[in-house]
This record gives sequence, C-alpha cells and structure tokens, in this order.
Amino acid sequence: MFDFDSARKLVEVDDLKMYFPIHTGLLRRHTGNVKAVDGVSFDIFEGETLGLVGESGCGKSTCGRTVLRLYEPTSGQIRLDGRGLAWGNPVARRVRNRSDRVGNWAAGLVFTIGAGLLVGALVRGSVTGGWAIAGLVALVIALTLAALYGAAYVSRRMLMSSEGVSDKDFAPSEGALRRLRPTMQMVFQDPQASLNPRMTLAGIIGEPLSEHSGMSAKEREARIYELMDAVGLNRDFANRYPHEFSGGQRQRIGIARALALNPKFIVCDEPIAALDVSIQAQVVNLLEDLQERLGLTYLFISHDLSMVRHIADRVAVMYLGKVVELAPRDVLYDEPLHPYTRALLSAVPEPDPAAHETAQREVLQGDVPSPANPPKGCNFCTRCPQVMDICRRIDPEYLEVQPRRFVACHLHYEHQETAEATAA
Amino acid sequence: MTDSADRPNQPMQTAGATPAGAAPVMELEAYRPPRNQWWDVWDQFKSHKGAMVGLGFFVFALLFVYVGPLIWTIDPTYIDIRARNSGPSMAHPMGADQLGRDTLARMMTGGRTSIAVGLTAMLLSLVLGTLIGVLAGYFKKLDGPLMRTTDLFLALPLLPLLLVIIMLFRDQLRAAFGPEGGIFVLIVVVIGITSWMQTARVVRGDVLALKEREFVLAARSIGTPSSRMILRHILPNVMSPIMVSATLGIANAIITESALSFLGLGFPSDFPTWGRLLFDATDWLQQNPERVIWPGLAISLTVLSVNYIGDGLRDALDPRIRGR
Repeated sequence: MFDFDSARKLVEVDDLKMYFPIHTGLLRRHTGNVKAVDGVSFDIFEGETLGLVGESGCGKSTCGRTVLRLYEPTSGQIRLDGRGLAWGNPVARRVRNRSDRVGNWAAGLVFTIGAGLLVGALVRGSVTGGWAIAGLVALVIALTLAALYGAAYVSRRMLMSSEGVSDKDFAPSEGALRRLRPTMQMVFQDPQASLNPRMTLAGIIGEPLSEHSGMSAKEREARIYELMDAVGLNRDFANRYPHEFSGGQRQRIGIARALALNPKFIVCDEPIAALDVSIQAQVVNLLEDLQERLGLTYLFISHDLSMVRHIADRVAVMYLGKVVELAPRDVLYDEPLHPYTRALLSAVPEPDPAAHETAQREVLQGDVPSPANPPKGCNFCTRCPQVMDICRRIDPEYLEVQPRRFVACHLHYEHQETAEATAA
Repeated sequence: MTDSADRPNQPMQTAGATPAGAAPVMELEAYRPPRNQWWDVWDQFKSHKGAMVGLGFFVFALLFVYVGPLIWTIDPTYIDIRARNSGPSMAHPMGADQLGRDTLARMMTGGRTSIAVGLTAMLLSLVLGTLIGVLAGYFKKLDGPLMRTTDLFLALPLLPLLLVIIMLFRDQLRAAFGPEGGIFVLIVVVIGITSWMQTARVVRGDVLALKEREFVLAARSIGTPSSRMILRHILPNVMSPIMVSATLGIANAIITESALSFLGLGFPSDFPTWGRLLFDATDWLQQNPERVIWPGLAISLTVLSVNYIGDGLRDALDPRIRGR
C-alpha cells in the first residue's frame, strides 16, 4: 500500500475550471458554457497512481488534458512540482489583460501619428527617393512595435506593484510551458489516432527527443532502441508505420513516446479502453512495471472500475464536471460514501454467475444532465436515490469527512444547519 | 507480455549513456537501422507501372526539348521557302509550316518554353496555395482574412485581369529580363497567381480536419512548436490533395499559356511554344492535318505522363498504401 505520510505532493490542482463556450445564432454570440470541468481540486503524491473514474462525458479526459495545459483553463490553479502551470491568481490575469490593452493603445497611437506624419511628408513632397521612404516606413513600424511591447511591459510592472502580484502568479509563457513539457507527458486513449500515420516508429518515439534533448542522431537512435526494449517492442520494428501494428503494440509506442524524456508525471487517458481484454492486462502490467522502475506518477483516467482497483492507490470519482468522492482505493471500494460511487460500484459485473443473478444493483434512473445547464444545488440531485430537500438548493461542499477521504455530499456533512445559514 | 522474454531487460534511467554499453553493440548490428524514408517511397513508386511509364515519357520529353536541338541543328526560325506546307520528309521529318520553317525544330524549342512555363507556374501556384491553405487552416485568426482573399481571387474575372496585368507590366519586365525572359516571368506569375485558389481551399479543409486529430494533440503535449507541427505533422498528411492539384496544375498552365499566346498576350508570334504551334496549325487543318497532331500529341502526352507520375507519387507517399 502506498505510504501517504512520507510522500511529497507532485501535482496540486486547486478549483480547476474548464468551460467551453457555446456560440449560437447567426452572429455566433456567446450564449453559454459547457462546464466540462467545474471546480475540481485534488493532489497527486509523488510515485502514486490516482485513478479518475466516472461515466463517459463527465469531464475525465478534459480534466486530464487541462492539467497538462493542453487546454487553457478557465480558472483555477495547477502546480507541478511547485511550479505554476496556469494563472496563479485571477488578479494576475487581469493585470496581463490590462497591460496588453495599454500596449495596444500605445501602439495604435504611435502608428497613427507616425503614419500620418509620413503621409503628410509624402504629399507635401518633402521626402523623395525610394530609400528614404523605405527607411521612414521601417522606422514607423519599429516605433509601433516598441510602443506595443514597451508600454505593455511598463504598465504591467506598475500594475504588478500596485496590485501586489508577483511574477510567479502569471501563467508560463508558451516558451516556458514548452520547457516544462518534458516533466509531464500523456498516453492517449486511441492508439491509432494518436500516432501520425506518416511517421515511422523511430520518428514517433524520437520526436520528443529531437524537440527537447539536443541529442545527436546516434544517441537518439540508441535511446529509441532502449525505449523500445523497455516497452517490449522488437527493435526490428523501428522502420515500420503505425498501421502495421496491432492495437496493443500501438499503445506501447504511445507509452514509449511518453517515456522518452524521463517524465515525472504521466496522464494516462483511458489507455486501455480501445484494447481487447488480453492486451489490457499486458499494457496495465507494463505501466505498473515502468512505475516501479522509474518512479513515475500517474493520473490514470478510466471508466473500468476493476482495472482502476488493480492499478490505483487512490481513486477520484467524477460526476458532471465535479469530483464527488476521493479516497484511498480500498476504503472507497469497500465502503463508498457518495451515493453515486455506490451506484457506480454496484454496476461492476459480478464474475460469479450465481452471484450475478442475485446481485443487489442500484440502478440509476434518468440521464446525466447537460453540462451546459447543470441542475441547481448538487449536480447529482436529479438521479440520487437518497436525495434530500437541501440537495436541490445548495451545492454540497467538497470536504475531508474522514482522514484522506473527500466527499461532496450532504449526507456526510455534519454542519448542515450552518451551511444553510451561510447559503441564506 | 508476448515477446519480452527474448530481449535483455535494460534499465533505462539515464537518457544519454546506455548503461549496458558494451553488450548491445553486437545486437545493434543485427537490427535494420532506421532507413531513410525516401527509399521506401522510391520502392513503391517503382512498383507503379503507370507512374514508371509516365516518368519514362517525361524524361524523354525533357531530353527531346533540351538535348534534341543539339542533334537536330536546324534553326527553328530558318525559312526554307521551297519546303513550305510540305508533309513529312527526310529533310523535315515532321513537315514544315506555311513559311517553310522546320516543325521538328520548332517543336523542340517550343516544348522547352511550354514545359518550363508549366512546371514553374505549377510550382508557384502550388507554393502559394499550400501556404495560404495551411496558414488559414492552422491559425484561426488568419482563417477569415485569407479565405476572403481567396474568394476575392475566385470572383475576379480572369481574362480581363490578365489583360490589365499584361498591359501594365509587359514593358517593364521586358526591359528588366529581355523580351522572352520578361514575357516568361510575366506569364508564369500571371498563371501562378490566378490558379492557387482551388489548392488553398482543398488544403485548408484538410488542415482543419487534421488539426483535430489526436496525434496533433499528442505533438502539442510534447511541446512541438507550430512551425514544426506544420512541417512534420500537417504537411505530410495533406500531401495527397497537393499532389493532385500539382498534376492538374501543369496541364492547366500549359493550356493557359497556349490560350494567352493565341490571344496575342503571351510570347511574340514568331516565338514557338506548343500552344502557339497548335493554334497556328488550326488554320491549315484542311491542308496539313499532321501539323495539328504533333503539338497536340506532345501536350496531351506530357500532361498524361505528369498525371501518372503524380498518381504514383501520391501512392508512394502514403505508407498505408505502400507495400501493398
């Protein structure tokens, strides 16, 4: 069992929100948001596997991708190894927007004045000759650019000191994010779709190396072979193309690519969903084996509860963009606290036919509400078998009800009266 | 795992140095090293019969127009007045025209211009169309402006535009590049900038679809910057439509050049091109039908061979078709 007391937090996610805008009508006006991830918080300890489960469409994959900053999160903080990946604080984002606007205005002003003077000079005929005109045009462009960046920089510095924002609160720039990429990688759901059909295996596995490592071709080749050995691919396959492999082999190529830069943290986005059962075991064993040898940390996204039970140390259950329960694996499977977790676990097929017949299943009624228009109160209140009056009014807080057990449910919330009081 | 037993289980903590450095040297020799992809392309191309015939004819056409004049040394402008309107003979294997100029020599010189115009104009329109298509498809901000520009070009009436361009720039270009060179540049540029729109549209559509594919997301998670994303992941995957436009583009360019020459906007009337020869010969269709056949045959066969080359190249560049 994973030792949580001595472990260090590698990934910290705090109130992460990822909304996708909905544009409708002839004018493509912004009329609403799909709240794919709506206020998710969790930590991942170094060396552990956090399972993320939930039914399809609940935002698991979006959550994983947002944590890796493949999407620009709407709000919330992500820290990997102490370094911020997103806007540390909304004030910083406002500072950036305002200073950018100042830069734009300054550039517009300088350009208008410069272009006006230039046109005036040309009309009056005080400037003649191709080189003089070209030089003046270049000067106007240079001054405009200088105003754009200079004014933005100066106003940002001023706003930063007046608003009390430090450099750390800004989201990393494109370049800085690119330099952080080697520490975090991803294994994708569909191994066919996630490999470029026009690249050879060596090219695919070598791509992260040529992007980040600055190795020579010879070193890269050696490293590619080493990775192929590590994931159990024959070295002779280096020249082959993705369509020449089976599903399991393709997924191993994806894993080798993710491992190429010695990452600390890997998001496995349903890595076994597209594989058949015999291959699933191979891939999961490979992932576990690599974790042991390389000390990797996984965020393992899956809808296969038995597989998550096998691989994860802790499990987070998501429903409609929110984490409803997060607990160490064994207690979660033995004694689920949230009604949704109970329903989900009771849906796992029973291998024993006799027990299968008599199993007490909690079958949920109705459909998942639309993430564009979630219900008032608790997201689960429309389908919950134990729904109470309060659930339809107040969104339950996500709290640690027992040590290391987080639940968002009024059933386990001891201070209901105070909650109502604060809400009212 | 199925096939991990026969493999040494190497530790892999460090990136650069192989820990078991000494042992795998022998093994490395046994495996095929990563081979240049273009050899696979060539292997597949060779197996496409049509493409090989096309390539053969195209090489023959190139030799005919570039090496031919060294062997058949009659000046295409030399007038042999006694041979005018004559059919094929030993002195003039393809006959002679109404002024007595040797048709074989004129075919060689004319082909040089026609093929050069076709290839350069096609390349220009291809580069322009691909560039605009990829930029419009990949960068959302550029999509609107670039596609509206494309629509603008599509809506322009072609012939009046050509007339205006040629009237405006012919004399400057002639002064800068010489009489024939100037017209060559003018015609190539005019054909290039009026025929890139279809390529741009097709490429943009494909790029839009490709951009949503998971392997592009995977490359983003690696941290591949936009420039290499386009070169490594987008462009190779839009190769097929580009190839098709390229082969159609050559044919289109050769024919447009003929049409321009016919209208008197292209090369001067005494300067032979295949299109020019064809149009000149139409007046003599009754008397000397073979004079139409030669340039017509040359244009059709060149276009056909280029189409087959493009077809073979497209198949050869797609690894899923390759090796079938």
